Amino acid sequence: MVSTGPQPSLKRRDSLVTREDDQLIITPLGAGNEVGRSCMYMSYKGKTVLFDCGIHPAYSGMAALPYFDEIDPSTIDVLLITHFHLDHAASLPYFLEKTTFKGRVFMTYPTKAIYKLLLTDYVKVSKVSVEDMLYNEQDINRSMDKIEVIDFHQTVEVNGIRFWCYTAGHVLGAAMFMVDIAGVRVLYTGDYSREEDRHLRAAETPQFSPDICIIESTYGVRQHQPQNVREKHFTDAIHSTISEGGRVLIPAFALGRAQELLLILDEYWSNHPEIQNIPIYYASPLAKRCLSVYETYIHSMNDRIRAQHAAKSNPFVFKYISPLKSIENFKDVGPSVVMASPGTLQSGLSRQLFDMWCSDRKNACVLPGYVVEGTLAKTIINEPKEVTLMNGLIAPLNMQVHYISFSAHADSAQTSAFLEELLPNNIILVHGEANEMGRLKQKLISQFADRNIKVFNPKNCQSIEMYFNSQKMAKTIGRLAEKTPEVGETVSGLLVKKGFTYQIMGPDDLHIFSQLSTANITQKITIPFGGAFSVLNHRLKQIYESVESSMDEESGVPTLRVHERVTVKQDSEKHISLHWTSDPISDMVSDSVVALVLNIGREIPKVVAESEAIKVEEENEKKVEKVIYALLVSLFGDVKFGENGKLVISVDGNVAELDKQTGDVESENEGLKERVRTAFQRIQNTVKPIPLSAA
Amino acid sequence: MGTSVQVSPLCGVYNENPLSYLVSIDSFNFLIDCGWNDHFDPTLLQPLSKVASTIDAVLVSHPDTLHLGALPYAMKQLGLNAPVYATEPVYRLGLLTMYEQFLSRKQISEFDLFTLDDIDSAFQAMTRLTYSQNHHLTGKGEGIVIAPHVAGHLLGGTMWKITKDGEDVIYAVDLNHRKERHLNGTVLASFVRPAVLITDAYNALNNQPYRRVEKENEFGETIKKTLGAGGNVLLPVDTVGRVLELILTLEQYWTDKSLNYPIFFLTYVASSTIDYVKSFLEWMSDSIAKSFEQNRENPFLLKHVRFCISKSELDNAPDGPKVVLASMASLEVGFSHDIFVEWATDAKNLVLFTERGQFASLARILQADPPPKAVKVTMSKRVPLVGDELIAYEEEQNRIKKEEALKATLIKEEESKASQSADINASDPMVIDVSKTLASPDVAGQHSAGYRDILIDGFVPPSTSVAPMFPFYENTFDWDDFGEVINPDDYVIKDEDMDQTGMHVGGNLDGKFDEGSANMILDTKPSKVVSNELTVHVKCSLIYMDFEGRSDGRSIKSILSQVAPLKLVLVHGSAEATEHLKQHCLKHVCPHVYAPHIEETIDVTSDLCAYKVQLSEKLMSNVLFKKLGDYEIAWVDAEVGKTDSGMLSLLPCSNAAPLHKSVLVGDLKMADFKQFLASKGVQVEFAGGALRCGEYVTIRKVGDASQKGGGSGLQQILIEGPLCEDYYNIRDYLYSQFFLL
Repeated sequence: MVSTGPQPSLKRRDSLVTREDDQLIITPLGAGNEVGRSCMYMSYKGKTVLFDCGIHPAYSGMAALPYFDEIDPSTIDVLLITHFHLDHAASLPYFLEKTTFKGRVFMTYPTKAIYKLLLTDYVKVSKVSVEDMLYNEQDINRSMDKIEVIDFHQTVEVNGIRFWCYTAGHVLGAAMFMVDIAGVRVLYTGDYSREEDRHLRAAETPQFSPDICIIESTYGVRQHQPQNVREKHFTDAIHSTISEGGRVLIPAFALGRAQELLLILDEYWSNHPEIQNIPIYYASPLAKRCLSVYETYIHSMNDRIRAQHAAKSNPFVFKYISPLKSIENFKDVGPSVVMASPGTLQSGLSRQLFDMWCSDRKNACVLPGYVVEGTLAKTIINEPKEVTLMNGLIAPLNMQVHYISFSAHADSAQTSAFLEELLPNNIILVHGEANEMGRLKQKLISQFADRNIKVFNPKNCQSIEMYFNSQKMAKTIGRLAEKTPEVGETVSGLLVKKGFTYQIMGPDDLHIFSQLSTANITQKITIPFGGAFSVLNHRLKQIYESVESSMDEESGVPTLRVHERVTVKQDSEKHISLHWTSDPISDMVSDSVVALVLNIGREIPKVVAESEAIKVEEENEKKVEKVIYALLVSLFGDVKFGENGKLVISVDGNVAELDKQTGDVESENEGLKERVRTAFQRIQNTVKPIPLSAA
Repeated sequence: MGTSVQVSPLCGVYNENPLSYLVSIDSFNFLIDCGWNDHFDPTLLQPLSKVASTIDAVLVSHPDTLHLGALPYAMKQLGLNAPVYATEPVYRLGLLTMYEQFLSRKQISEFDLFTLDDIDSAFQAMTRLTYSQNHHLTGKGEGIVIAPHVAGHLLGGTMWKITKDGEDVIYAVDLNHRKERHLNGTVLASFVRPAVLITDAYNALNNQPYRRVEKENEFGETIKKTLGAGGNVLLPVDTVGRVLELILTLEQYWTDKSLNYPIFFLTYVASSTIDYVKSFLEWMSDSIAKSFEQNRENPFLLKHVRFCISKSELDNAPDGPKVVLASMASLEVGFSHDIFVEWATDAKNLVLFTERGQFASLARILQADPPPKAVKVTMSKRVPLVGDELIAYEEEQNRIKKEEALKATLIKEEESKASQSADINASDPMVIDVSKTLASPDVAGQHSAGYRDILIDGFVPPSTSVAPMFPFYENTFDWDDFGEVINPDDYVIKDEDMDQTGMHVGGNLDGKFDEGSANMILDTKPSKVVSNELTVHVKCSLIYMDFEGRSDGRSIKSILSQVAPLKLVLVHGSAEATEHLKQHCLKHVCPHVYAPHIEETIDVTSDLCAYKVQLSEKLMSNVLFKKLGDYEIAWVDAEVGKTDSGMLSLLPCSNAAPLHKSVLVGDLKMADFKQFLASKGVQVEFAGGALRCGEYVTIRKVGDASQKGGGSGLQQILIEGPLCEDYYNIRDYLYSQFFLL
């Protein structure tokens, strides 16, 4: 049980703590000044959100993970995954299964479906030792049960954190998450593209401007060529190579952009009958399995694809492209086009083909995506004279190398335009090489120079702290709000907080506006009492200021009402009963009544003369004064009796005068005045705890 | 004061007519649902026609005729012109429903209430939302947020939540709280204490106990028995709604029992339906989503059910027992009607109804108990015109064409005359008024009209012209300080066309329904409708099994008392059901239950008072919250002040607050408390409605806690006992169940 009345002052937190409460922290655990292992930590008002959970493709084992040891996984409320790429989702099974994380995970439907396929494949093909394995297939399957799905625009609320997602372009199911904690909105774009392509929609512009925008900066200040120009380069390069009898290798990541390239190729072939005899192979066992996902989530794609779907032709059933299982099934006779994974040319089928074809001048290699630092794909962009094959031999690099980027990341122009529309107060750049990011930061700073917009590019584990002074607003409702109060009036009621919304209401209305209900506990206790009821009456009157006697209407037994709280009834000759409604004061009164009743049996009632009673009262008054004085001394030290019965309290040279009768305090120092007043009020509550009538 | 809310039913109260309700929120008019029934009787829409032009937004909840059937007609004929909101499946499947209705109707009558184009244009105005998407309205509805939520019953089925200023108005009809094969149950129960809840009383009197497994087994058994005896089974179904559940049920049963009897799904849009449904997995139940994520198994890749889009496909199927799911459920029109007439006379056959037929429909008549021995039906057929009729028709057409051509030339002549005279009216015919010509394209248009007539009719100067002239316009150039003003667009290289051509494939809405049926109906071959009435002797067995997928009466009542709206509006349901539910809710749910009649506007503005205050940092730092489930509560005594911006703010009291009556917060469940006491080693048992604790102490709960809105909401708990230690111990346990504020 907790006491009623004003809250004790011990709980007053100093202003620093309050300020900490308003502090928002964002820390990149990965993808800070680098590309790969995206992972953003964000915390505000005791709520914690983690965005993405990727690995770094250039490292293996634990080294590829984001810096999870910087945080306590068990404190994270929500984990949001933007899309299925390894650098955004691949450490999820580890995080879910091998750490203390116990929050909730969300991703979109297509992402979840492809996530499983992709990671299962990743576990199979990654050739690391068993102890270096971060997780196995069982961990992935188990993680599937913990992942919840969210649809685009669907608002979900967890623990007071509200979030929803927007289409991000990039790949199927890619999302940008908007998180709203107590009115502060943070947008995390993940990877996004503002350009509509053959199958995906462009990233949407959110309806609301966020306070903070965490945005990718993969391409920094670079600008993409227009889509049609890139496509023309792409098809021209292929066309010219095959028309001269060469072979074309397109190393591409199995999912995501590959589908876009296939759509381009298939269309080009159907428009150019003269090359239709040249086969296109797509070597990815994954892709076939993912096809059903692409077919099912057609509604996440753009209108063009949906129109084709509506017209009953499946856009992902390609006419001129045939699947290729492995290099054994591949008959390398004459010109052909092969799209093979992985896009990095590090290992696998794409590397095998590269090794076969790289020394022939007629052949070509078209790199269609972003190439990660430290991979062979990155190396050959600079067109070295020689390359090292997988078997360790060195071969001349004679094949032509084309780098035509189709990776759906926003370029500088898109980023600027996007931010111009959003106008967030703070921009945090992530997911980009340090140099590119730095240039983009400079560009954005000059772009938004006249507006109060801050741009950050934190390194991994470098926290950005911001303060949001959120005004807490409450809505007073129900009977308490029948009249809007004037300044200076008091409002008393229940403050009910749910999530980050506050409501003030009368206790009677609690059940109407919330699921909570209030209760009344009525107590009835029977005590054996053989004495005369009038004796009891007399004794009670001696102790309590208010005792009313009356008759019970139903049973006709005499009753006494003490302090309008506790009713004493004479049930029979031998018993009396006490009735009251629970609250701390009534409980106390009843306890003392019980004690009195029990003592009557033992003691012979003392007869006290009237005069003595008055004397007692005077003595009481004196006692009260003494107590007040003693308590004040214990609190403030220097307390003196001043003129006309006032108490003079001096603390550190500040003087306050207290009028004991009215409780008025006069002092130059506001702080002292406040403290003395509060102290005096509490002392009075202690000395005279029971008000004459129930409130 | 709160947000003003008015509800005015336009159709579908105190009966089972289609649904259509007008809900005004701060004078923003929502039309929620816009239904029609299979009879397409325009008089039903009378009330709608009066208000159609004032509607600001339309919300559609389910993809069936009863909920959206009147949309094309209202858009075309009644002046309804407002954005429509629905979920993606409601949009797609609703479109198919309307196509089906149109095609079925057109087949047997000169249906002219709306055309396929009207359907397309009505649906094009739809904004598609996903579940729990908070859509903020703009313009007139500024501040209103609408959000669709799962309703169950049909794929994409929606329960609408309209929020303004923190007050919720929820429209929830045709709910199903149970999870089904393909759908999740409604989430209505998760909304607590909305200001207004509008719901239906359709199933209030239907208290069939629900046992899915047994029901599905019985369903399978019945069909199997008929098939085994050599009979055919007809299931009259809706186009796109409940049929999906039936298909999955049949698929499962056929697989489990390894049956080989063919199943046909016959509607004009059958294959499109399944195609779309295959890509709506994210709208279906969790188990379907899960099986797809794990194994990429799409349950709508059907193994046993074959789709047909014309009856000839069915007729061509080999003889022998078969199951046919055919539209419409009402048996009024469509394939089911024809098949019924064909099969009803054979006692071996079975017609299995899975939903209650629409009021006054053939299906409803057949569902009567006992079923009628014979029914009168109208058989209509569209036949191509032949012989004299054809000739007459062609002549008629020719005549009409000629007339039109004649009219057109007349108009053109008029125009050319007008244009010529316009020139003449210019002050000087020889001075070419360049500015005028260029400024107004209309005039230029008239000129070109003039051209054409000249080409057609030869150069015949109008008699009114003063001097014949060749039409001539001079290209003028604008000059500025830098020379000729150029339009940069003219110089943009149009290479974007390259992808444009590739990117736009096919029209948007054409070709969406199956081509076969399209040919049949839409070909220009002259045809007419031949009708004849005949009496069908119903010999086949008729069975009704409830696969409607709506919550039964008992569940609805318990959900309602859980949701406990402040005000409740009942619609859609027979008069008895409505009255029954109203009485029940008055007693057990809330004191404000309304069941308005058609065009009766009721005001359900909440009488809630509210004002906003700012909580000052000073006050909040002194508040200690106590956590109670999702809530945190505290008692505050505060003084009202004003912030700089004129907002009211709450500051700590300068004087000691008067003591307030202490409040015990908590919900005592006697059964839980009993367990709690038992765990503390106290002997407890229920006796005579009270909890006896130990030897002497009794605890009693007075008043009904389930009656949340109606009663005081205060739990009265009585603890009684003699003076002993037990008493105080038990009282302490009891106190521990509550928070004292």
